[in-house]
Amino acid sequence: MDIFIYGLVTGSILLICALGFSMTLKTEGFINVAHGQMLMLGAYFTLGLTFIGLPFIIAAILSVLLCGLTGLAFQRILFKPIKSNGILVQLFTSVGLAYLINGIVGAIAGKRMLSFDIPISRVVKVGDIYLVTPYEFMILGIVLATVIFLHIFLQYTIMGKHIRAVADNQDLAKIRGINPDRCSDLVWFIASSLAGLGGIFLGILGAVHLNMGWQQIVMILSVTVLGGLGSIYGVMLAGLLLGFAMEFGLLFVSSNYRTAIAFGVIILVLVIRPEGLQSLWQSKGRET
Amino acid sequence: MEGFLIFSISILTLAFVYVILCLALNIECGVAGMWDLGIVSYFGVGAYSYAIIVAPEAASYQHYLFGFESNPIYGIALAIVLGGVSAYLIGLPSLRLRREYFLITTIAFSEVLRITFSNENWLTNGVAGIYNIKQPLKSFFTPDNYLILLFVIFLCISLIVYRMVNRLSFSNYGLSLKALRENEALAKTARIEPGKQYHSVYVFTGCLAGLSGALYVWLNTLIVPTQFTPNVTFFVWTALIIGGIGNNRGAFLGAIFFVILLETLSFLNLSAELALVVSSLRIALVGLALILILRYLPNGLLREKPTIIR
Repeated sequence: MDIFIYGLVTGSILLICALGFSMTLKTEGFINVAHGQMLMLGAYFTLGLTFIGLPFIIAAILSVLLCGLTGLAFQRILFKPIKSNGILVQLFTSVGLAYLINGIVGAIAGKRMLSFDIPISRVVKVGDIYLVTPYEFMILGIVLATVIFLHIFLQYTIMGKHIRAVADNQDLAKIRGINPDRCSDLVWFIASSLAGLGGIFLGILGAVHLNMGWQQIVMILSVTVLGGLGSIYGVMLAGLLLGFAMEFGLLFVSSNYRTAIAFGVIILVLVIRPEGLQSLWQSKGRET
Repeated sequence: MEGFLIFSISILTLAFVYVILCLALNIECGVAGMWDLGIVSYFGVGAYSYAIIVAPEAASYQHYLFGFESNPIYGIALAIVLGGVSAYLIGLPSLRLRREYFLITTIAFSEVLRITFSNENWLTNGVAGIYNIKQPLKSFFTPDNYLILLFVIFLCISLIVYRMVNRLSFSNYGLSLKALRENEALAKTARIEPGKQYHSVYVFTGCLAGLSGALYVWLNTLIVPTQFTPNVTFFVWTALIIGGIGNNRGAFLGAIFFVILLETLSFLNLSAELALVVSSLRIALVGLALILILRYLPNGLLREKPTIIR
């Protein structure tokens, strides 16, 4: 039972981290390596804001917004001018951006492991079963709320529909009078705030350190590919699946191999069903 | 010898290791157009094969079973062979995939390998790593002269690799790879078999990366699993993009440029606190350089020249 719950928690954090990444992949068409650093940025923003005396909750909310704005700035300054240069240029600009963020944060905050200054919490016990800590419970709640919100936003609002239209076919969307730049701005804002949120969650459950972005981006890539490139609902499923796989795999191998399990699952899935996943990419991604 | 000269020579020696890695990546990704984010796997395999062959037997506090203290030539040979073999094996499943899917599978394999390196104590001494790996011929030279010798050896090896890669990329084989890169369907009609060509170039890349892994351990005299994170892959890619993807001379220059960029700040004499800040800032500097080069020179310092066949 507790494995199930741990899997749920691990999976939902993965899901939040990968959602934004997958959104940029879908609308912008490239792999945004800097997304991992946005996670780290979210965690460090929160640390910084609590350091100057803000209560944790307010600091967290502010830093999610700050992350979103930073992402928006990156889109305007860095990515918009090079959009016509192809995927590889965009991909490696985001690698450069990742180094830039990582270096600057490292220079300011140092390389030590840090953690949020929040009280240690006890596991809630219901009957005979140990459930989650209040923090984990809160995280699950927020993730669920975010996912529902995102679903409603994308399916039922005008802006959401515009974003989906641009993601499907940018030229066609333009003809229908949709401004793709505005959609890109919005996607970057949402994606980066989601990244900031994910980073804060990671910081609550573990530690805040300089390498968390690099560690997570590999997992995020895996989740996204497993979910079918850029498919948001696929990513939700894949995040949970990998979360469970990692926790259940611990029954069989030592915990040092926890992330290796996840990668093993990815390799297996891709090798068993390459044509299935590839056909998915060929029908959608060719023109990007 | 003057401090600065020693420093520049040792940096260039390190740069030649990256040159080999970069050339290997160039023939695979620049010429054949594959999206490989797992080159660190073969770099790591090569490094560990060399280390295990050359390392002395384990001391009582170390855990690895094998330390043959054998001739480094065998170490390098084994590194090349095992680099190729591991590339062959990893290529079997992953080469059935293309682009993003290939990219993710290779990076996943490289992580699995790194995690294995850090956990299989009997083979690699785990996260503690293997230390004091003797440098060949060291006893015959003074330390200063040995630096120069290393510099010359590494320069020669990287020039040989450059010649080899260059010859290969303008041979019929290289042209067939370029044809696959540009238009796979059209290349097939010219009886170029994608599977065979991709697999062979992948194995070749693995061999070269293994070689550079062995040289890396030779230079560093120690090996720990954290040297083989995907960071290496991104570094090599960055160097290649800076230099100019598809252009072998660009790959050569890019690697040297990159290592100089990364290491220049480290010769400043700084207090410990400031040194930490600077070590972070140089990563930021690399990032900034990459962004600016892509913005204003999207083809890198030297762009790929079109091949003209007469």
